[in-house]
Amino acid sequence: MATQVDISSNGTGRVASPSFWSGVWQNHAPGYLFLLPWLIGFLGLTIGPILTSLYLSFTDFDLLTAPDWVGTDNYVRMFTNDPKFAASMRVTFVFVIFSVPLKLAFALGVALLLNRGMKGLPLYRALFYLPSLLGASVAIAILWRQIFAGNGLVNQFLANFGIQGPSWISNPNYSLWTLIILAIWQFGSPMIIFLAGLRQIPQDMYEAASLDGAGKWRQFWKITLPMLTPVVFFNAIIQTIEAFKSFTPSFIISAGTGGPINSTLFYTLNLYNEAFGFFRMGYASALAWVLLAIVALFTAFSFLTSKYWVHYDD
Amino acid sequence: MTIRLGRRQFLMGSSALLAAGAAGFSPAFAQAAGLRQFFWGGQARADRTYAVNDLFAAAKGTSVDSSFLGWGDYWPKLATETAGGNAPDIVQMDYRYIVEYAKRNAIAPLDDYVGGALKLDGFDQDQLEGGKVDGALYGISLGANSVAQLVNLAAFEEAGIEPPNRDTTYDDIRAMGEAFNAANIRGGLKVIADGSGSEPMLDNWLRQKGLALYTADGKLGFGADEAIEWFTLWKGFRDDGICVSAEDQALDTNGPLETTMVVLGKSAMMPSNSNQLVAFQTLMTDPLTITNYPRIAPGVGGGHYRKPSMFFSVGGSSGNKELAAEYLSFFVNDLEAAKVLGVERGIPCVSSVREAIAPDLNDQDQIALNFVANLGDLLGPLPPPPPAAAGEIDASLLRVLSQEVAFGARSPEDAGQYFVTEAAAILERAA
Repeated sequence: MATQVDISSNGTGRVASPSFWSGVWQNHAPGYLFLLPWLIGFLGLTIGPILTSLYLSFTDFDLLTAPDWVGTDNYVRMFTNDPKFAASMRVTFVFVIFSVPLKLAFALGVALLLNRGMKGLPLYRALFYLPSLLGASVAIAILWRQIFAGNGLVNQFLANFGIQGPSWISNPNYSLWTLIILAIWQFGSPMIIFLAGLRQIPQDMYEAASLDGAGKWRQFWKITLPMLTPVVFFNAIIQTIEAFKSFTPSFIISAGTGGPINSTLFYTLNLYNEAFGFFRMGYASALAWVLLAIVALFTAFSFLTSKYWVHYDD
Repeated sequence: MTIRLGRRQFLMGSSALLAAGAAGFSPAFAQAAGLRQFFWGGQARADRTYAVNDLFAAAKGTSVDSSFLGWGDYWPKLATETAGGNAPDIVQMDYRYIVEYAKRNAIAPLDDYVGGALKLDGFDQDQLEGGKVDGALYGISLGANSVAQLVNLAAFEEAGIEPPNRDTTYDDIRAMGEAFNAANIRGGLKVIADGSGSEPMLDNWLRQKGLALYTADGKLGFGADEAIEWFTLWKGFRDDGICVSAEDQALDTNGPLETTMVVLGKSAMMPSNSNQLVAFQTLMTDPLTITNYPRIAPGVGGGHYRKPSMFFSVGGSSGNKELAAEYLSFFVNDLEAAKVLGVERGIPCVSSVREAIAPDLNDQDQIALNFVANLGDLLGPLPPPPPAAAGEIDASLLRVLSQEVAFGARSPEDAGQYFVTEAAAILERAA
């Protein structure tokens, strides 16, 4: 295609493309050869499987027998006749819509506290970051089960005030909220990024503002937050993608069932169950591509709206 | 400071890297001389299996490379290895999956080896039949078991209530539950777990009515009326505090034994299997026993059956089928091996083996052996293997609906109706 464009544009009939490629080759051959081990892995282990899954999403592949082409059946069924897909979409969207803003607000709050230049800051920073390192682990998910169980830590605490709490994880009205709280608790990485962002805000702005009589609250809304919007934007995108992909907590806490009553059936958990529980690899591949489309849409939407609220200094 | 690298040197270096990469693939294709074995289970089962493998190695001079996983992780891994043409020589198979694997030639028919490498003299006929698909032998049963109710004897004694026996009916369970509530022991222990989401318990209840979970041609064996009756029965139990609450039952994720109602101390009884008594007793200090599932009315039986607890099958692509068949023969016939295995995989299927190990069994093993041997009028015929979608109907329909009724999100009528329609749709899709 590149060749044709070239012919029509300069009209001389001279084929520029091969010389372009050979130029690339001559100038960058060592670079590409150095890249080769990675490139082979990238093409063979990442791009290859991704394209294969696109093909499989149009088949009824079940791991044991050869895939048969079924056209768009998988996609049609997903949107017309799959109550579990609908349930998992609902659960995932509630999770994303609540966990991401709350987590960011919490991370920003802690970052503001830590930014006041207290003693032992590196220690606190490390301590607050710790949950993010542990958060996705199996051990924490099991710990969460213990904390929110009927006779767990939370209910023992509530009992001090005479409140008989429910079994949070096994009640469909509350189970998803325990996972949202778990997500918020892992506020470490956005916090570190916020902290770095806060350091970038010039101090003279605050000095000028306080000379003009602006209080702390006003300074936050008029200086800190606008100056921080690029970092908020970055964190929001990253955390939204993370939230859509979230899998381990619900897999461990519900033991892979997404229960009670599908109340913690994350999109990825439903996908995993379709693939490895019921061996519907074709359908699961289709689910994966729809998830990709959803995440891409969300990200594109964020970028499109960003010019209205993200303030870049330069 | 710059490193100069000639083109030739570079090419040599990179091709060496490539060669190294290619070499990395080769072990996956290499065929080991010994046998490769894969099974599901816990450490107790693994210890016994490995000990038998050592005996086999000593007797035949062939090593067995063995590994195991929990039930939930086992099937994805087996399916992946099978799809990759890399299936083990000896695989543990379940009644639920044997048809699927046999029809796809993922496991090999064993009829050619019977009488030769594979000796099956004195092997129980019903257990042999259970391993057949379309008349060909695909799996060797490693033991017979039956569904059974796990009973916490200490709880019954504490409450001053007579434990259930083989004549106990669902009405008796209700009376026991009321007595338990009156006794109010251990912070309001209930008599029984919520069985509405238990596929084996529903199966047993249907069989007593002369119906079945699934028909031989893979259709649902009952209608909306029965499903509604089932959900209504348990709703009554739940509302009157006979069985555990919805919140408590939801703690049981149908995975680890530790989250079950009896182990958590929420109920005195729950549906289980005869071979699991051993495993449950290791988790609890209270003395446990097993009894049959409740009868739907006095004198009505036929709900139970002697199920092959699990099979060993030979991988369809195995290059060592003869040797694998020899291993299977050793596993079920050798007396030393049988003594190591006990009844952990169910009651041995060869009569002479049963007699040989009986004197050395501990109390729990004796209970399990006697239970399976003396089912009497409770025993009915072996049902046909369930259709491929049975697992999905159990996991994403029966269990979810039972929770929806329990938490009040659906009425029993609604749930029963929905179950039958949706199960038919799932079966249709899988066919």
